[in-house]
Amino acid sequence: MERLNSIEQLRALAARITADRDPQIPVIVISAGTCGQASGANDLIRIAKREILANGLADRIALRVTGCHGFCQAEPSAVIEPDGTFYPKLGIKEMARVVHAVGHGEVAQDLLWRDPGTRRRVQKQSDIPFFRAQTRTILASNQKVDPIRIYTYIENGGYSALAKVLWSGDPSRVVEEVKASGLRGRGGAGFPTGRKWELLANQPNGRPKCLVCNGDEGDPGAYMDRSVLEGNPHSVIEGMLIGAYATGAAEGVVYVRTEYPLAIKHLIIALRQAREIGLLGSGILGTGFHFDIRIVKGAGAFVCGEETALMRSVEGERGEPRPRPPYPVEKGIEGRPTVINNVETWANIPLIVSGGAAAFARTGAPGNTGTKIFSLVGKVKNTGLVEVPMGVTIGEIVNEIGGGPSGRSEIKAVQTGGPSGGCIPASMFDLPIDYESLAAAGSIMGSGGMIVMDQSTCMVDVARYFMNFLKDESCGKCFTCRKGTQRMWEILDDIASGRGEPEQLDLLEELAAVVKDTAMCGLGQTAATPVLSTLRYFREEYRTHIERKYCPATVCRSLFQYRVIAEKCTGCALCVRVCPSGAITGPRKEPHNLDQSKCIKCRACADVCKFDAIAGDAIVAVPSR
Amino acid sequence: MATDPNPGGLISLLQDIQARYGYLPADQLKAVAQKTGRPLTDVYGVATFYRSFSLKPRGKHLCSVCLGTACHVRGGPIIADEFSRQLDAPAGETTADREFTLETVNCLGACALGPIVVVDGHYFSNVSPVGVKEIVERARAGLDRVEVKTDQRIFPVEVSCARCNHSLMDAEHLVDGHPSIRVTLAFNSVHGHIWLSSLYGSFNVESDHEIPMDTVADFFCPHCHAHLTGSANCPVCETPMVPMIVRGGGIVQICSRRGCRGHILDIGGQVF
Repeated sequence: MERLNSIEQLRALAARITADRDPQIPVIVISAGTCGQASGANDLIRIAKREILANGLADRIALRVTGCHGFCQAEPSAVIEPDGTFYPKLGIKEMARVVHAVGHGEVAQDLLWRDPGTRRRVQKQSDIPFFRAQTRTILASNQKVDPIRIYTYIENGGYSALAKVLWSGDPSRVVEEVKASGLRGRGGAGFPTGRKWELLANQPNGRPKCLVCNGDEGDPGAYMDRSVLEGNPHSVIEGMLIGAYATGAAEGVVYVRTEYPLAIKHLIIALRQAREIGLLGSGILGTGFHFDIRIVKGAGAFVCGEETALMRSVEGERGEPRPRPPYPVEKGIEGRPTVINNVETWANIPLIVSGGAAAFARTGAPGNTGTKIFSLVGKVKNTGLVEVPMGVTIGEIVNEIGGGPSGRSEIKAVQTGGPSGGCIPASMFDLPIDYESLAAAGSIMGSGGMIVMDQSTCMVDVARYFMNFLKDESCGKCFTCRKGTQRMWEILDDIASGRGEPEQLDLLEELAAVVKDTAMCGLGQTAATPVLSTLRYFREEYRTHIERKYCPATVCRSLFQYRVIAEKCTGCALCVRVCPSGAITGPRKEPHNLDQSKCIKCRACADVCKFDAIAGDAIVAVPSR
Repeated sequence: MATDPNPGGLISLLQDIQARYGYLPADQLKAVAQKTGRPLTDVYGVATFYRSFSLKPRGKHLCSVCLGTACHVRGGPIIADEFSRQLDAPAGETTADREFTLETVNCLGACALGPIVVVDGHYFSNVSPVGVKEIVERARAGLDRVEVKTDQRIFPVEVSCARCNHSLMDAEHLVDGHPSIRVTLAFNSVHGHIWLSSLYGSFNVESDHEIPMDTVADFFCPHCHAHLTGSANCPVCETPMVPMIVRGGGIVQICSRRGCRGHILDIGGQVF
């Protein structure tokens, strides 16, 4: 790889790559992030290559393997450029047909995405409601870039934002630009990024400064950072380079969860290529600017997403938080002034520099500028990563982009913000998504997890789930967090197991308040949010668990039993086939028998039954008080 | 940090040990304490703080059941229970025959496809309780095993030298039942031939000298004798790769390190 020794050489290279590419040649773009690979994208890549070579199409079709396109529900999928034809859920045979169709300039009509409402086939990706209603400033690049080839990033304007700031030669102007954009930290807390940078830039000279990319995406249910690191690692690297130039930092760290092997692999390759080509290290693009980045792999601890704990973990120690102040910007990794920003925050930086702060601030709402990526998952029809301007409503995301409930059951709530967030009931879906509105509703923005829950989700179980998570992940440093989360979990487990007493709800609220007020770090301070928000909006469900010893959602397994409703059962034997424990028997065309002693209450039968013939009943009839 | 001889601290030392042994043996922890001059309690403290470290040996196959929120609401706990039932081992434990270790993880970040299970690096999405048994059986048989003859994902390629464009195919010497790719190679002071399978997806090779694992060899064209090692590095292990021209339009690059399966197949004549 030739080394770039000046800004002009970078520009010339970009021009050369573009000139080299024939825009008439169609490109098959295969989405191969973790979701894609989990669904079989690697097989599609093989088949596409096999068909192109076997049919001598190599000079008529180009192939690009990219990170995730965001529509996880449709994986493994492919997009054909330049016309934007979208093929979802491809198998080996279908992929071969797609290659032939592209080779002949045709469209394989029967493989196109079909709208579940109108049942019409839709050809273009941009016409599919899931994509149409989004503003994909960050995610769209995932589709353009092959993450293990730096040239594809440069071809798409990559590193031109860095060139722009190096050309201007004025670091303080970069800080002003980021401040003017109004960008707030995408990791959850929403601190203005520009102000953080300004504080770092103003640290007394002499001490080496450090930049950190927080890729410890620990919130279960959120995976946009994984997608960006896997699909477009250079955007993060470029963001950090610009940050380093603006603040005078000389070294950078990307902290990535060890649970993201593909992100780590792509990042290692991206860093190596950036170094080889002269975009990292000393004398970047022939200027006096130097900066390098290393990867630190996390070892599996949720608390390490908290910035002071993360710093300890980068130092190789137990990731226990410490009180602030001193803030990391004064005393960070090994005592050095440190700025920690989230992956998505860094990926926004090149966009701000390229397009200007004013353009960036036009998207979104005042005080909440730009876009935010959410992972829309759970009981919703279209699952995947969605990028929308801040300030759109929850309802727009869940119903328009998400396409509404995945099954026949009505949507009950949306959980945002992971274990530190809360559940927002469907009645409040006209709430705009911004930092302040979510906080007022008793939840948080967090890193952008959005888990849709329907009538088959039990809110007591959700609270118990998060509390179990938090009690395991509490580092143990603060007594109230360590013991408080444990005790809250015990109470929730009592309620979910049929041992609940009415007084326990008050005790839960009291405990929640104490943990919130006394814990030192964010994990403890927000640990009670899932409990408090479910109590606030779904108290009735708690009462049913306690008073009637019944779980209406049929989730808490001690509080219901399944029964075949003989009048509804047609004897189709579908449930017999999916029952893993052999609890359902019976000849076809006759109502089936369900053996309670064998039933493990896995719900497979209820999910598969087309006639609602599986009922979840209360086990003991307790007179309501 | 740049001057620190061990920038990752205790964590990276322990990660290296775990990568080598599959777990953290007690004597290795003591060795770390001695080497770093840190009390053993500190080392133990770090080892037990993080989820990814194991103090116990693990099984041949690792099953990780995701219990992230999205997987939880889609029935992840039931899948974990079913694995436990099928393997007769509780979560976090290893089967008595040391074949399987079952673990639950907080979130694998593939939330749209839940419930997710990862077995030996292979992802299984939308897992149903009744599908668990089959996953266990397939893992027992080996998920990496491919049937070279019947697998549609494996197909023959014909290659030629990147310098002289002379075909490298050897129709006399068959590997996997197909004409092989013959090149000469050199490592240490050994010179000889190697015949590579021409099936893309098969990693079978034959050679007239035994090539020890992890050997990085130099490859030469048997016709023009040019040194074939190129400028690109293997995406897996960073060893230099060997490019060859694929008939039909493309370039395949294979890693020059014995045992590494890193390779890249680029379609078309794109330079970039």
